[in-house]
Amino acid sequence: MRLWRRGSRVAEEIASEMDSHMERYTADLIARGVEPGEAHRRARMEFGSTAAVAEECREAVGLRWPDEIARDLRYAARVLRKSPTFTAAAVATLALCIGANTAIFSVVDAVLLRPLPYPHPEQLFSVARHFQGKGAESYQTNVWGGLWEALRDHATYLDRAVFSDGSMGVNFASGGRVEYVKQQRVSAGFFRVLGITPRMGREFSVEEDRAGGPAVTVLSYALWQRVFHADPAIVGQAVTLRGEPYTIVGVLPEQFQSSVPADLWTPLRASRSGEGAGSNYAIVARLGSGATWAQANGQIESIGRPLMRQFGQDPATERLRLISFQRGLTYDLRRPLLILWAAVGLVLLIGCVNIAGLLLARAAGRTRELATRMALGSGRAALIRQLLAESVLLGLCGGAAGAALGWLGVRALKFLAQDSLNVWQTVELDWRVLAATAGASVLAGVLFGLYPAWVASRLEIRAALGEGGRGVAGGRNPWPRRVLVAGEVALGVVLLVGAGLLIRTFAYLRGLNPGFDARSVITAHLSLQDARYATGERVNRLFDQSLARIRELPGVESAAVALSLPYERALNSGFKRLDGRHVDTDYQITNMFYATPEVFRALRIPLLRGREFTAADNSAAAGVAIVSEAFVKMYLRGDDPLGRHLDLFGDDKREIVGVVGDIQQKSGWGEDLGPLAPMPDLYIPAAQTDGKAFQLLHTWMTPSWIVRTTGPAEGVIPGMQRALASVDPQLPFAGFQGMEDVRYRALAPERLQAALLGALAGLALLLSAVGIYGLIANSVTERSRELGIRMALGATVPQAMRAVALPGVLLALAGVVVGSVLAGFAARLLRHLVWGVRPGDPLTFCAVGFGLLAVAAAASFLPTLRVTRLSAAETLRQE
Amino acid sequence: MGKQVDILQGTLDMLILKAVSLGRLHGYGILLRIQQISGDALQIPQGSLYPALYRLEHRGWIAAEWGESENKRKAKYYSLTAAGRKQLKSERQEWKRLAGAIAEVLEA
Repeated sequence: MRLWRRGSRVAEEIASEMDSHMERYTADLIARGVEPGEAHRRARMEFGSTAAVAEECREAVGLRWPDEIARDLRYAARVLRKSPTFTAAAVATLALCIGANTAIFSVVDAVLLRPLPYPHPEQLFSVARHFQGKGAESYQTNVWGGLWEALRDHATYLDRAVFSDGSMGVNFASGGRVEYVKQQRVSAGFFRVLGITPRMGREFSVEEDRAGGPAVTVLSYALWQRVFHADPAIVGQAVTLRGEPYTIVGVLPEQFQSSVPADLWTPLRASRSGEGAGSNYAIVARLGSGATWAQANGQIESIGRPLMRQFGQDPATERLRLISFQRGLTYDLRRPLLILWAAVGLVLLIGCVNIAGLLLARAAGRTRELATRMALGSGRAALIRQLLAESVLLGLCGGAAGAALGWLGVRALKFLAQDSLNVWQTVELDWRVLAATAGASVLAGVLFGLYPAWVASRLEIRAALGEGGRGVAGGRNPWPRRVLVAGEVALGVVLLVGAGLLIRTFAYLRGLNPGFDARSVITAHLSLQDARYATGERVNRLFDQSLARIRELPGVESAAVALSLPYERALNSGFKRLDGRHVDTDYQITNMFYATPEVFRALRIPLLRGREFTAADNSAAAGVAIVSEAFVKMYLRGDDPLGRHLDLFGDDKREIVGVVGDIQQKSGWGEDLGPLAPMPDLYIPAAQTDGKAFQLLHTWMTPSWIVRTTGPAEGVIPGMQRALASVDPQLPFAGFQGMEDVRYRALAPERLQAALLGALAGLALLLSAVGIYGLIANSVTERSRELGIRMALGATVPQAMRAVALPGVLLALAGVVVGSVLAGFAARLLRHLVWGVRPGDPLTFCAVGFGLLAVAAAASFLPTLRVTRLSAAETLRQE
Repeated sequence: MGKQVDILQGTLDMLILKAVSLGRLHGYGILLRIQQISGDALQIPQGSLYPALYRLEHRGWIAAEWGESENKRKAKYYSLTAAGRKQLKSERQEWKRLAGAIAEVLEA
């Protein structure tokens, strides 16, 4: 501001100085006998352009830039105010594009870019298993107990800790209050590695983290506030957790954010057996001072090599690798988010191209203005700068409106994504996002302004001024704008194909036969990670009694308990085939459930062969199992499945007594399976599951009560709660959900991806249509004289319409061809997200191509309707 | 009136410094003074004087102040600053060295 004020003062001084100079010179000339009129003229001539001199003076004192920018912006604002329709269209386009970018960027920033909320996040790493397959690589951050122990003992460059990367609901009781809270299990030193010091008390000691150690817990700030009313003497007090007394040893600081939702923490007690026999742990490590990533990475790689072989992995394709902790935590979200980010970037690009087209058309209408300014001595650079000021101002207005839309977008995204995006950093419109938005707006302004400004300033002054706005065929080169429109269509094709593939994927997944009947089924789960349910007998008594009471409720058709539900991720377990065509020495992997006998009837999973479980399949009877069709296909090919024997858990021999239909499940393992697939399933009777197995399974999973009703399913919820409370008043149901909701939620990520990309592609389609419409409408205006003459010479109205509209359709065709090639490449990037349809799906490509052509044809012909109102006689009269 | 010479690029600054070193002057006065000293041999394009003045002022070699002119009008007067005096001295030496060198080459 001060600079500007100084600038205007300097301008006044220069003007007055030059005036007085010329006055004196004129006086001198008159004194020398020159006639006054002539003297004035000569003084002016010899001095030269005062405007140019003033400019040079201001430049000499370094005032030119702020001066000129202020002037350019003022002028730009005036120009934009004078054409409100154009300005509104451009700002609206930008607001939509930048708003979408702002919203998506806020998520990208929170998940992928913003440093983790721990001290020195750049030193934090995950130990990941890196797979190098044919042409593809991937990371997995889950490790087994033996691997952790080796790293704990030998990875000297790292301060390391192990944790369970999920949180489990558990029952929590304190002072007569029973609650279901989220518990995460972490090793001693976990908070130290993260750089977090408890607000009160301490974290777990090594003794507490050992099997049989004291039962202790650390509380979150929120739980401490909510349940204990911020009691300052909380450390050392006892609470009941999982039915056992636990001592509170610490409370975490308020600002601590954990990577999974958690209310409290308990020691992990990592081991090689049981839970630790499978890949159920994750490792966080902090690089010690003085050590480099390369040293630490080399060390863990050599530690890992012999262990890979022991665990049946191929050390040639799989090795340990140190990746940033942030990347390790967000690995699964990375690809979909980057794709989404690229898609909104494309939409912004299309928006820019669209506005560039509008600006080109406007420049054509402003030829005389621009030519006049050049004739009056404005340099080409100054003209470009002026035009750029207009577009940057547009960009900034669009950016401001976009930030507002983005704010709404973030709120909408948070709502939509709550089921699918485990975003644990807060997603918000902070200064980082706003800075990015402002940057994008200015960049967009330059991007869409530069080319039109360059084209507009390349005019022949004499021709432009002489033309007088006439000229039969419009006169201006239409190609720059045509190329822009074709480019816009091409980018639109890329987005539409991407969206089409994801929508087809979603449709495929939703259309999969569930394998059971989800209607009128209500489910409830609860935590049995509880000291009171340590034996098979106790657990089964709970199941039997609660189910018996639930069956008595009016409107209940059947009721059962199973370890997990269809569409959920099931337990992965190992087994060996003991007889038949295939006999195993190594473990095979399958999904496994324990269930009470009625489960197949409650879910209406068809029995294909053999029999269901009965009450007679109890702990005293011979071990039985039921397998799914997919299990038979994968493991018992060519055998009669009935009567085959399997070994579970190493010492548990079972006979297959039945085969049931497949159900859709989240596929946690297996090659080339989509997000949902009929997995090989192995069911065992709950009555034949022992206390050891129950305890292990219940540390990871919350069993579900499955109730089929005759009426509305929600009606039985209070009855179920009463039934359970009458069996065990200390055991609350953690949550109820209808089976249809489970099914709906299972596809939440795919639904969200398809919806977001679909919306973006729709926006791109709209912008392309507007671009084509604008182009043709403009050419109708420019060519109305030509068309009038043609019609006067005998051309029919349809002929004239075709002549104007054809370029639009041809350009769209060119755009579709180029875009399809680009989309072919882009679709390969999507191959990890596309299921049930090939990335080169001809149906998607054809639908997009023809759809776009149809829209382009409509957008081209609509403005030509004005041709019908042209009158040949009228045109000729104007000539 | 003798033959007029276009002034060398870059020498205008030196001439202005010399002109104001003899006493404070307004813009038009500087022009006249240079023409007068050179016996009308040097012609300064009038428009180029002012950017040079503003440049010199910006560098702190000349100082400007507003005062009243002979005909009771407001005018901007320029005078040499200490830094300007130093600059003039060094430019004068540089010029002499250059002119001497050129003379030697031409007379060799």
